[in-house]
Amino acid sequence: MRFMVLVKADKDSEAGVLPDGKMLTEMGKFNEELAKAGVLLAGEGLQASSKGARVRFSGKTRTVIDGPFAETKELVAGFWIWQVKSREEAIDWLKRAPFDNAEVEIRQIFEAEDFGDAFTPELREAEERLRAQTAGRR
Amino acid sequence: MRFMIIVKGNAETEAGAMPPEDLFTAMADYHDQLARAGVLLDASGLQPTSKGARIKYSGGKRTVIDGPFAEAKELIAGYTLIQVKSRDEAMEWARRFPAPHGETAEGEIEIRQLFELDDFAPSAAVERFREMETRSKK
Repeated sequence: MRFMVLVKADKDSEAGVLPDGKMLTEMGKFNEELAKAGVLLAGEGLQASSKGARVRFSGKTRTVIDGPFAETKELVAGFWIWQVKSREEAIDWLKRAPFDNAEVEIRQIFEAEDFGDAFTPELREAEERLRAQTAGRR
Repeated sequence: MRFMIIVKGNAETEAGAMPPEDLFTAMADYHDQLARAGVLLDASGLQPTSKGARIKYSGGKRTVIDGPFAEAKELIAGYTLIQVKSRDEAMEWARRFPAPHGETAEGEIEIRQLFELDDFAPSAAVERFREMETRSKK
């Protein structure tokens, strides 16, 4: 099963302050452990919300709102995607992450079989085609 | 440059309701267009926060809080990662995103730029991330 680990923003990440050398080194070591264990599928950092935008959908209307956005603690500053055998394994890994004064959220990713009948054979085929096309690009 | 399109949740995604077939089809069509344009890197949906958890890091301690979490509109229900040439191109695609909870429901997506390793000052730690990235692409 796959999990997405969401690292929440703070004042520093929203101000565009990059992690210091110590944090980068510790994070690098942690990522290497994840990779060696076959857990790490992806890991990325997001630029401050001041460089981002939102699109609001209401009826036929689309409204674009440029960042920055105020509710810092609800914003995402980075994420991992992990492949693990259980939710407990994901939580065990997270407890070893080199954070201090931070909050992260873990969320299970839907797999094709979770969708049941709504995921028709045609959609399944289209999905597999997309996965094959994008696999070489990541 | 890479962008993450974040789909925000609502009461229905938090209740674990499956998207209706027309929304499923609209999402499949849109992602098919992204793939054909060579823009799509990855996309997934997230299970409700009732299956997730949060971990708080404070003063060397780790506290696990099980979901569900209350603030449905700030929660993430899914994401799409794209590779584009400019922020304008990212916004162009974002405006064409299907209304995430169906045409009759309000919805919101957020568009955030991903950090590239070149955004960091050169250091031994950054070099290790680069090596890891190269290895994972093999």
